[in-house]
Amino acid sequence: MLLMFFIITAIMVILIFLFRNRTITKFIAAGYAVMHILLSLYCWSNPDATELRYFTFNSTGVLLLSILSVLVIPTIYHGFVYTRDDDLKKFNIYHGALITLMTFMSGAYLANGMTVLWIFVEATTLAVALLIYHDRTEIALEATWKYVFICSAGIALAYLGILFLGFIYGREDAASLTFSSLSELINQANPMYLKIAFLFVLIGFSTKMGLFPMHTVTIDAHSVAPPPVSALISTTLMNVGFLAIYRVYTLFSSSSVLPFMNNVLIFAGLLSLLVAAGYMLKAKHLKRMLAYSSLENMGLVAIATGVGGSGYYAALLLIVLHSFAKSSLFYQMGQLSRVLGTFRLDDCGNYMKLYPAGSLVLITGLISILAIPPSGLFISEFLIMKGLVYNNQWFVLITATILLCFVIYAMSTRFMHIIFSNPRQYPEFTQSVKVRPVETVTQFILLGIVVMICFYQPHFLVDIINQSFSLLPR
Amino acid sequence: MVIYLIVFFAVTLIYFASAERLATYIRLIGLQGLLLCGIAISELKDVNTANLIFIVAETLLFKTLLIPYLLSAIIRKSGVTKVHRQALPGFYLILFSIAALLLSVVLANSLINPFINTIFMTIALYTLFTGFILIVTHRLIISHLIGFLIIENAVFIFSLAVGSEMPMLINIGILLDIFVGVLILGFFGLRLKPHTNELTMLKD
Repeated sequence: MLLMFFIITAIMVILIFLFRNRTITKFIAAGYAVMHILLSLYCWSNPDATELRYFTFNSTGVLLLSILSVLVIPTIYHGFVYTRDDDLKKFNIYHGALITLMTFMSGAYLANGMTVLWIFVEATTLAVALLIYHDRTEIALEATWKYVFICSAGIALAYLGILFLGFIYGREDAASLTFSSLSELINQANPMYLKIAFLFVLIGFSTKMGLFPMHTVTIDAHSVAPPPVSALISTTLMNVGFLAIYRVYTLFSSSSVLPFMNNVLIFAGLLSLLVAAGYMLKAKHLKRMLAYSSLENMGLVAIATGVGGSGYYAALLLIVLHSFAKSSLFYQMGQLSRVLGTFRLDDCGNYMKLYPAGSLVLITGLISILAIPPSGLFISEFLIMKGLVYNNQWFVLITATILLCFVIYAMSTRFMHIIFSNPRQYPEFTQSVKVRPVETVTQFILLGIVVMICFYQPHFLVDIINQSFSLLPR
Repeated sequence: MVIYLIVFFAVTLIYFASAERLATYIRLIGLQGLLLCGIAISELKDVNTANLIFIVAETLLFKTLLIPYLLSAIIRKSGVTKVHRQALPGFYLILFSIAALLLSVVLANSLINPFINTIFMTIALYTLFTGFILIVTHRLIISHLIGFLIIENAVFIFSLAVGSEMPMLINIGILLDIFVGVLILGFFGLRLKPHTNELTMLKD
């Protein structure tokens, strides 16, 4: 099935550039969405099966793959809307690159070894570069440059982490071994090597996860990428980075370096929160502000993982719900820019009068992303706080709470200004476009799921999350 | 033989710290590619023919020829010949470089492992630090690119330090990294504002 998925995807991308027809491209993209959902269903029905030697359908990978499958239809739909005025060449490049990116991300989720995972992560950099550069402006070029450059440097560091795994075992093929084979050897390793390998992997894959200190790359990419692409960068692509770090964390968790890894994760998480809160207070660009919100959430995920115990569940639930809430906000950004003609906060205002459906998405999205009940994210953040109290980590708890208050203040004042106030300064010229309320349906569905999780968590979700951290010490 | 090559490689790194002309940087990058080719051939004795051809092509074609050619094209287009906008004077860069070398020696000796060649480890760490120093202390995009390429070379030496045979998957990984490097150089390097070579637009 997986081989077919890769082959059909390659054929689809070739056909897009061969036919050069807008309608055919649309059909192919829609067909890809269906195929991706079928792949997820297949993975669910074949738990822990291994295919093509390098891919295993384990619970964490399948969970993240399923998130992508949920987002694939709205992303492609909003992509159609975003690119409808583009010329045929740009239209085809956009959809070809989008399909390629989703396939590389799927490969990364299911990879059962560090080297294969690394190759797919590197490949996502190339695909997403084409998408960030979509508008062909000077600023898009700068953002793409930064993204490719810093990601490549980060990925090189991550690769050093993988090579250190090779040093640990002294085997030439160590880097190509699967996670399960490596876990059998972990206790023989020198802890110093494990610590260095973890640090390299954490810093390297932080470029994808958007965690401090490599967060700048994703912030810049967000501000210029098309909104549906920002939705992917901010959610499923960050999940790829998280997965890579989480795999190594799980691998080393049975060794003596677990407290070290926990402390590093909490430290990185707190610094991410600090940077996010600071920059959100001075943010003047709407998409950059949402990007900092992603940094804040990834910081919380890192803290949750570092806390351990109930924090593991909180981290994975936060990953799921953040993906749905943040992507719906980014889809909405596409519509907001069509209505208001800008992302600059000073130029935005009166959104409720101009587009009430979009304003409702913003309000619901704001409540969801800030983890205010009835948002499902509240459950995650509550579990993180509970874990911190349980571990007597009062300094982390108090600091994180204060920083979250800043985040809440920064986001809510800016959103309320956009929705209800007049713009602080009127842009010289904006061509307001009528956006149909029906275009917000997918956003409401995603936000509806986030709210539903606050009251009811389906068994299949709870089970797969529990299985995902079953190898970690309780 | 391999010891001479690796020491010569370390000398090129010290030269990076003292050089100010971009043309010198490019020549050093090409020379490093050639040295890496020699080191790989000397070190990989039991490697099969296909793998050896792959590694030689990787080092000779990409690192020694293609990348210096693309760097030269960028310099010709931009007209920038000297690293005159660096944040620190050259003297401090040499001090940093020496400190990095000492740190690498200490680190490599604290990580002694029967499976690892300590000299490879020392030089690999030194190469890594040199790449970072170049990126952090220089402002020009072209210097950042060269810093990135030095980090790539560090990765290559690290992978040589693992053992006498590099598995194909590691080769693919390195090739993919080189591919990204060429993409950066060939596509974005040539298109980015060549006159100032500084990035200013994306900030809060």
